[in-house]
Amino acid sequence: MKQSRLKATLTDPHLWIPLVVLVLGISLLAALA
Amino acid sequence: MSLHAVGVVSGIAAGAWLGSAEAPTKLVTMGFSPFLISLGMVMGVFVARWTIPVALKGTSYVWADLQEKPHLIVWGVVAGMLWAVANTLTVFAIRNVGLSVAFPLWNVNSLIGMFWGWLLFNELRGSGAKQRLIVLGGATAIVIGACLLAYSTTNHDSIAQREAATLGVLAALGAALLWGTMYIPYRKAYISGMNPLSFVTVFTFGELGTVFALATIFDGGVTNVLDSLEQAKPVLFWLFLGGFCWVIGDLFQQYAAKYIGISRGIPLSNTNQLWGLAWGALVFGELAHMADSRALIIGGSLIMIAGAVAISFAEAPADEQRHWRLAMERECARYGLDRERVAAAVMGSDSSRGPRSPRHWWELLIVAAAISVFVWLGVHAERPSIHVDTSWLLVIAAASLALLAGAVAVLWKRTRFA
Repeated sequence: MKQSRLKATLTDPHLWIPLVVLVLGISLLAALA
Repeated sequence: MSLHAVGVVSGIAAGAWLGSAEAPTKLVTMGFSPFLISLGMVMGVFVARWTIPVALKGTSYVWADLQEKPHLIVWGVVAGMLWAVANTLTVFAIRNVGLSVAFPLWNVNSLIGMFWGWLLFNELRGSGAKQRLIVLGGATAIVIGACLLAYSTTNHDSIAQREAATLGVLAALGAALLWGTMYIPYRKAYISGMNPLSFVTVFTFGELGTVFALATIFDGGVTNVLDSLEQAKPVLFWLFLGGFCWVIGDLFQQYAAKYIGISRGIPLSNTNQLWGLAWGALVFGELAHMADSRALIIGGSLIMIAGAVAISFAEAPADEQRHWRLAMERECARYGLDRERVAAAVMGSDSSRGPRSPRHWWELLIVAAAISVFVWLGVHAERPSIHVDTSWLLVIAAASLALLAGAVAVLWKRTRFA
């Protein structure tokens, strides 16, 4: 992947929403297991 | 046929096949770990992806699409991870409150997806007051239906059962949040001109990796997981079958998300609640033991479906579609994509290079190997000792196949699976 696209991906504010939700989901699983 | 109609047909077919895919998770009542059940199903999803989907467009096509938009690989993997965690949560939910109840609860994900669609992708912006009223009314109906279903689960006798029901409801709502958020990568990919078949390919790597990691962490290491898989071999076929149905359903869901957006496509595909209810109640006889709650469960489900249908009939007007294009142009500017090619892909034209992608002999081997796995598991399969109403099973399966044929014909004729 081009450097500019990699940077654009990592700095895309939209990306952080699914990442935070993913962490929440794994935490809930840990509590249930 | 309009793209809206293509999206609607895809969404309805998605509902049927996603609903059918959840039925095998009933096996969790047979004593297997929820993580193992989830892993078995996802392994089936992964293998099934290399059967029909690879046969439709070929590996070269998918590879060219991914090379053109490599930044979307990250999004596909994240979406697969979200799906995997959500799916494992649903197994806990089914174990605690049953398929007929858990299913509608996690379908609140359409409401969450709608919010993200509005916030991030300009969906519902520029639409008239009537459109907004229909969508908001539909969304409210979905919430009311979910509340009725949650209330119906509290009708248990002992404190221990109530606690289990509460945890089950929590797991189902957690799955809703994860699945609702998973539609961000979906929409991101499609307003960037990616083909759903390419997205699903990357997606399956993310979900298989995550489910295997979860099973390893929570089920006592790699050796234990492999031993458990060996013990579960007689029922693995049914889980793989669930995975197979899921791949078909998800592909239709992806096409719905591509052509009519998250806000309309996801509620429509969430009619899988109706199919899940049909499988649970008619095939597995679930509601027979919940006579007191039956009216609430059915009433709540019907209200949710009415809400989803109302939303889905609200075709995006020209002004809203102008806002969609603004979101597409934002992605093109951010990631340096070719606006014309992306715009053509969004409108159902094939954006891959060349009129036809070349097929290779080894692609046939991949398809044959994937089918062989299913056949081998089928030979070693044992029928689970769960009551199944064969007549209803045949009726529901026939209806699902009819929808499959109809949706495939529509997608091929209008978009060539673009």
